[in-house]
Amino acid sequence: MSKGSGDRIFRAIAYSAAALILLIAVVFVIALFIPALPAITKFGLGFFVSRTWDPVRIQFGALPAIYGTLVTSAIGLLIAFPIGLGAALFLAEDARLRFLRGPLSFAIELLAGIPSVVIGLWAFFVLTPLMRDSVDPFLKHTLGFLPFFQGSASGYGFLTAGVVLAIMVLPIMIALSRDVIRAVPRSLREASLALGATNAETIWSVILPYARVGITGAVLLSLGRALGETIAVTMVIGNRPQITSSLFASGYTLPSVIANEFTEAVGDVYLGALFYLGVVLVLITIAVNVIARLLVWRFTRGETVSA
Amino acid sequence: MKSVLVALSAGVALVLTACGGSPTGGNPSTGGPGVPTPPAASLTGAGATFPKPYYDAANFAYNKKFSQVNINYGGGGSGAGISQLTKKTVDYGASDVPLSAKEAAAMGGSDKVIQIASTLGTVSLAYNLDSVADGHLKLTPDTIAGIFLGRITKWNDAALAADNSGVSLPNQDIHVIHRSDGSGTSYIFTDYLSSVSPDWKAKTGGPGKSITWPTGDGAQGNAGVATRITQTPGAIGYVELAYVLQTKMKQAALKNRDGNYVIPSAAGATAAATAFIGSSPSQFSIVNASGKDSAPISGYSWIILYKDQADKTKGTALVDYLYWLTTAEGQSYAITLHYAALPSSMASYDLLALKDVTSGGSALLSVS
Amino acid sequence: MSLPLIRTLVDRLVAGLIVLCVSVAAVPVLVLFLFVLINGLPGMLTPGFFTDPPHPQGVPGGGVLNAIIGTLEIVGIGSLLAVPVGALIGIFLSEYGRNQIGNTVRFISDVFTGLPSIAFGIFGYTVVVLTTHHFSALSASVALAVLMLPVILRATETALVLVPNSLREAGLALGAPRWRVTLEIVVPAALGGIVTGALLAMARAAGETAPLLFTAFGNDIVQTNPLQPMGALSLTIFRNALVPYPNLQQQAWAAALLLVTLVAATNILARIYVRRIQR
Repeated sequence: MSKGSGDRIFRAIAYSAAALILLIAVVFVIALFIPALPAITKFGLGFFVSRTWDPVRIQFGALPAIYGTLVTSAIGLLIAFPIGLGAALFLAEDARLRFLRGPLSFAIELLAGIPSVVIGLWAFFVLTPLMRDSVDPFLKHTLGFLPFFQGSASGYGFLTAGVVLAIMVLPIMIALSRDVIRAVPRSLREASLALGATNAETIWSVILPYARVGITGAVLLSLGRALGETIAVTMVIGNRPQITSSLFASGYTLPSVIANEFTEAVGDVYLGALFYLGVVLVLITIAVNVIARLLVWRFTRGETVSA
Repeated sequence: MKSVLVALSAGVALVLTACGGSPTGGNPSTGGPGVPTPPAASLTGAGATFPKPYYDAANFAYNKKFSQVNINYGGGGSGAGISQLTKKTVDYGASDVPLSAKEAAAMGGSDKVIQIASTLGTVSLAYNLDSVADGHLKLTPDTIAGIFLGRITKWNDAALAADNSGVSLPNQDIHVIHRSDGSGTSYIFTDYLSSVSPDWKAKTGGPGKSITWPTGDGAQGNAGVATRITQTPGAIGYVELAYVLQTKMKQAALKNRDGNYVIPSAAGATAAATAFIGSSPSQFSIVNASGKDSAPISGYSWIILYKDQADKTKGTALVDYLYWLTTAEGQSYAITLHYAALPSSMASYDLLALKDVTSGGSALLSVS
Repeated sequence: MSLPLIRTLVDRLVAGLIVLCVSVAAVPVLVLFLFVLINGLPGMLTPGFFTDPPHPQGVPGGGVLNAIIGTLEIVGIGSLLAVPVGALIGIFLSEYGRNQIGNTVRFISDVFTGLPSIAFGIFGYTVVVLTTHHFSALSASVALAVLMLPVILRATETALVLVPNSLREAGLALGAPRWRVTLEIVVPAALGGIVTGALLAMARAAGETAPLLFTAFGNDIVQTNPLQPMGALSLTIFRNALVPYPNLQQQAWAAALLLVTLVAATNILARIYVRRIQR
């Protein structure tokens, strides 16, 4: 065997492996899209604005599930963003309590590694009673004049799912923001400190503005994770396709509708509607992830992001 | 690297062969008198959770009796049983509702499938109220419909209080729990509601395995509903009796067609079944039965399989198992779990149906 | 240099807020672990937990042997599918991938990384379950393999790119063909990174539930045939959590403790491995 032919064979093997992932991607699209066609042709774009989810009359709309997905993710990010940013600043910046960094980073990695079904189990048995008996009544009492905190609270619903999502995206939020903040040039912060600015002022007027784009990317990647989270949310969302202003109320999300109804859907249209939801979910997460990756990548200049 | 790859692929082959052998060890055991000895097979079923505790117990016992047969019943709801059998991803489906004409057509027509009744059960309304003891809550067709239509939202509602003098009903929100999956229990319950409440029928479109509920939260399976009720003060939901008794939930006394309040029980289900003569897959509804002891929300549970079995061994194991399920021995596991034994007329119907199951033109069940 | 009081106060306040954030972030971790440990241990110590399949309600005892075997086998077969392919694609990216094809592969891999895990379940169902007409461990392995692929290929590429070019040049200068240089010099030098990537991918796959719902399907019987439906620890947790029987709920917590231990051990192993190599 000549030297060249060995190289050619190896090259061919490497290229075919690369072709395989392209093939998988194509099959993935087909596997998701084709079964969705009966619903796509029947409901068209009206699917996105219809509130009905009625298997008896075979009428399906995605709006309640899209609403639930967006609301729970928004709650999750609203909680996780400030906490995550603060923790990231501590890990990347704060010179005090340095000895805590190692254990803390480790704890956050551990949290990232906890399977979502375990978080769901904990949320189901520990968080929902806590929300029902303490958190929800407290919110009702103090902020009950807002439409978000009215109505009866069973412990299951948008708010609880949002808290669960906050816990689940915290590790990503922290790890990515930390990397982004660390990528701020040392010289910048040293200059600021040398000019007499305090730590807080340096964070506010130098580091955060500089890292803004990267942090936005981190938020979007967290959002991508939150949108697609299935099991833990399914266990606490309440499984009710409705749109209501109360965050105590039960809802439904795109992934949880699929998880609950996929194996039992009878008929092409019902099953197609679930696949259609899958298409919507996949398109939303791809869009969010692509934008996020572009932002983070632009900021850290191509260093691989590990989440 | 090539050698690594070869080693890896050899590893795959090894695992596959190691795992691909006979699923069970040991010699086939033999059955008692009248019960055929099945060939070695692994069977997969999916569907109704209404009879799942019974199937779990019976399958466990059958595997003890005939170790060569493994039956995996995955539950998933009646909708899943029908849907997965249509796609032929399972060997049999279980449903608390026989196939509709449309569903049968999707399987190739009603003459291509066999449906047998496996057990008889009844639906309870379970609640979570500290101040009301088990069986002390009285519900009428009107108040049940009112609660599930979302018209009665407080436990101390005047309509409830009127039927429950002497019971201290709290000023508490009612949390309605229903099924989120396609469910035969839902069908039986909504079949009942549709037969007692024209309002319900008009609003929801009649009975269904998956319906749009006017109010309440969804939970997965009978077990999921039961869990949500035990977890949520003020909750009410409909579950199969076995789940109520096993979890020691409180259940309501229900006013039946004759005007008596009955606590759902196996005897009540039998009484309801007796009120309907000649039940079959096409005449299956036994809700709102007459008779003083009849439990009003009762129903049969069904197992569905293809009449022509592609795999003769599997098909034989399947009919042998299903036959055993309808015998006194199989039914004894149902009775322990508070289901009612199949009436003998229904057991005979099942035997005739199972004898129709064939593979390559020859009948599979060898029972006289 | 003395600062105006207000600036010092703000600085202190911000420092305090940051420490508060850290504590709030750390609390869920501690609480979660504590609950899983306390609720899981009693079930784990029940006789038969590791050695018996589940028993039906009413029959005492029972364990999660079906699920332990299932998780190991499903993830094992998934890794056998994903690791060689992922490593090869990683080699492609580092050695031949500085072009449009390489960028496309990287893009697709990144897209896969961000996809919801339930999408992989749908993929496994349509591609394997519907075509073979059977729920099976294999269909779950295929779904998980696709989910693992991006992690492995990115880890491989990163590890290979970090191998100094001087090593490659030395090999080529000795007259070895490029493929031998890659396989015998570059890949061994980067093996640590590849193994780490594979371990991290396995840890993630072992914890997944959504991709198994419509593929592995679950099985209460100890099943080793990959063409049959199979249980898994994550499925046991999901199903038992939603069941109203205290003994099964206890089993769910115990299975959670076992799964968390398994996943954490794999993660820690990967990190120890990284550290050993970086030295």
